[in-house]
Amino acid sequence: VSSAALRAEVNRPGRAAVAGAARLIPWVPAALVVAGVALPLVYLVIRAFEADPAELADLVFRWRNLRLLGNTIGLAAAVLGLSTALALPAAWLVVRTDVPFRRAFTTLGVLPLAIPGYVIAYALLAATGPHGTLSLLTGVPIPRPTPFVGAWLALSIGTAPYMFLNIRATLLGLDPSLEEAARSLGMPRAEVARRVVLPQLRPGYLAGATLVVLHVLGDFGVVSLARFETFSYAVYLQYAAGYDRVYAAWLALMLLALTGALLAAEGRLLIGRQFSRTGTGLARIRTPFGLGAARWPVAAGLGVVALAQVGVPVATVVDWLGRGTTRAWRDLPASLADALSAAVPAALLAGALALGVAYLRVRRPSPASRWVERLAYVGYATPPLALALAIIFFSLRAVPALYQTLALLVAAYALHFLPEALGPIRSALYQAPPRLEEAARALGRRPMAAFAEATFPLVRRGLGAGAALAFLSSLKELPLTFLLSPLGFRTPAMGVWSATREALFATAAPYAMAMMVASAVMVVLVMREE
Amino acid sequence: MRFSPSLAIVALAAVAIAGCREADEPAAVTPDEAGPLVVYSGRSEALVEPLLDRFREATGIEVEARYGTDAELLAAMREEGAASPADVYWANTTGALVEAQSAGLLAQLPDSLLERPDAFAPAGGRWVPATVRFRVLAYSPARVDTAALPTSVLDLPGRQQFRGRIGWTPTYSSFQDFVTVLRVLHGDDSTRAWIEGIKALEPRAYPSNTPMLEALVAGEIDVALTNHYYVFRVLQGGGEGAYDPASTDGVSAPVALHAFATGDAGNLALVTGAGMMETSGRRSAAMRFLSFLLSDTAQSLAAETVHEYPVVGSAPLPAYLLPFDRAMALSPTVDPARMTDLEGTLRILREAELL
Repeated sequence: VSSAALRAEVNRPGRAAVAGAARLIPWVPAALVVAGVALPLVYLVIRAFEADPAELADLVFRWRNLRLLGNTIGLAAAVLGLSTALALPAAWLVVRTDVPFRRAFTTLGVLPLAIPGYVIAYALLAATGPHGTLSLLTGVPIPRPTPFVGAWLALSIGTAPYMFLNIRATLLGLDPSLEEAARSLGMPRAEVARRVVLPQLRPGYLAGATLVVLHVLGDFGVVSLARFETFSYAVYLQYAAGYDRVYAAWLALMLLALTGALLAAEGRLLIGRQFSRTGTGLARIRTPFGLGAARWPVAAGLGVVALAQVGVPVATVVDWLGRGTTRAWRDLPASLADALSAAVPAALLAGALALGVAYLRVRRPSPASRWVERLAYVGYATPPLALALAIIFFSLRAVPALYQTLALLVAAYALHFLPEALGPIRSALYQAPPRLEEAARALGRRPMAAFAEATFPLVRRGLGAGAALAFLSSLKELPLTFLLSPLGFRTPAMGVWSATREALFATAAPYAMAMMVASAVMVVLVMREE
Repeated sequence: MRFSPSLAIVALAAVAIAGCREADEPAAVTPDEAGPLVVYSGRSEALVEPLLDRFREATGIEVEARYGTDAELLAAMREEGAASPADVYWANTTGALVEAQSAGLLAQLPDSLLERPDAFAPAGGRWVPATVRFRVLAYSPARVDTAALPTSVLDLPGRQQFRGRIGWTPTYSSFQDFVTVLRVLHGDDSTRAWIEGIKALEPRAYPSNTPMLEALVAGEIDVALTNHYYVFRVLQGGGEGAYDPASTDGVSAPVALHAFATGDAGNLALVTGAGMMETSGRRSAAMRFLSFLLSDTAQSLAAETVHEYPVVGSAPLPAYLLPFDRAMALSPTVDPARMTDLEGTLRILREAELL
């Protein structure tokens, strides 16, 4: 407890009890998150205990799995590198410079999130090869990517927006006076970038990097289409080829152990850091860095990157549109309404839960609050099929009336995608000075009011970005949707998946288009909010 | 665990029905629960939804489907146990049906239903076949000389000209069913030798048939071990509805299908099928649905739009498909009871590092 807050409580003894109760409020979402994440773990352990030791050695502890683990880590590192290379310069350019079309490039930087990973992978495959669309367009035979390169490109394109949004949110919140002070002390620009700006980007970058890495660990759709074998592929195969839940649970637990190790490492990198302004007064309004004559070439460069990220999948879907008529148009409005009815509340819930978790982590740093945050990420790394089965297992035992209802689906989405909302909110909270809230308390505001009036306006931008991420992911989600949605519930994502599975590309096209348009609208709305 | 008296009655009824297979419509025992008939479908929405529309029109019964892969739905139904909302399980593969049956999920069906298909009656009588697909070798007519194609799938490993140009789907259920048949017809050792022989030709493994055939069209591979109807799908160009062979002229067709010699394991016929859930509370509607799947309407619809073969010989077929009898004659005859050892097949595939 800060001294200011203590003073406030001491000065008004009648309010001490209220304040004590209010202190517990952020723990409510935290408790929900912990319960929601612990359930699949418990479920997996229950199933894992049904294993027969001899079979276990055959199916789980074999060299092949170790090799797949190596593949996974290598791919995750490579994707992290490329997505950083795509997102970091782009985020800096749109936030800090006068490059033209900043708003459009911001939207384009987020837009790949609107496209399901497997559609990006399909598009890459359709575009390459001697008969691929790219070869036909350019006249130059472009070879099909090797399995590693295909998975690397598709996943990097798909995950770069996590990096972009997190870095951008952090950059927007940085106080320029620190850099100006460094400059005025004679530090060269490059040095300022390295020693002043980059260290401050750390929480945003780490939040983005964590999501990217966990995304790669859990991905199945892209790696299977690219034919690159990773550990999550082994988990899926155990369910799919063996119709087995027991040994699959072992593999899923191993994947979670790997996740845990990564999260522990990430946590170490943030302990004891201060990212908010300490001085008095307002953050200064920044003057954008003038690119001068380089403005247009830089814009062209950004355009090429955006075209590579968004253009190829969009062109593929447009090509699909031309493959024939389809009944999908008729079903489209209803399926879009279904998807929104789940994704919107899920995004709001994820944002609210993430705010509680991030608040604890940033404002009440303790081993317990760190644990809560780490656990939230574990939920993200749980293979969705295992998560869905765990929810079936527990909901039918505890509250059967909730099974296959919209409420349960929304809760499942929110718990699964909460870490995506966490990053931007956490970064925003790190940048919101605690003194403001303490001052509000000292001036007699109750804890909730002090938070609402002093801190909330400063984290609103992060909250919007975080909720938007959860929304976009919910819109694309498949395994949870297939198994937990209410009867008759259809989303465009289900339509795309079902149709591409049967090579009915004309049927897939309207759904894919609708998803991209709905997501783009969401992205534009969030950007305008700012 | 929730205990419901109505479920107990249903379970008792199921036992009673299982005891006397002559018992016909079990609707006489318990009236159907309220609410729509719930179909858990391992087959894609795109293939199933047109059929559900026809069923609604024909019977006035409300029906809703939950989609997923066979594996997802099977795992879900096992977790749901007695509380499963599913009335009918419509699987995309025989393997999944066999698994559902051995997990005790499917109810005994009456003979009146089991006698309707002209082929592929399963042992145990807990599901009915709905459609048939054949294993074939798909190839690129532009890059492959038809004369170079082997007459037996067993001869494929020796073909050096296909080094690096073969596509297969070792993790896919239809392929695994084919491996099981290789084991039944030629023994485990020959099966291992065949797998090693193909592996020596550096094949490319795909997660499923659609991306494999896209790769064939794209020139990544020249031949692919697949199911026949995917070839028609590709020829159709991704559109919906009936396929008009005149729309693709034979010369420029990006892919063609090759059948091996009569009775070869490479021509294996694979069935999809459906069963009624042991826990279903809407047995009367479920029976009508299964019965509808075997009607000429449904059988022809599957043939026209999915390009699968019917299991009822009387159903009219589009001209580009082989007549029912000739197609059936191509496939090796295998005792279905010997097709159940999926575990053994998976073990061989794991030893070969394919799973």
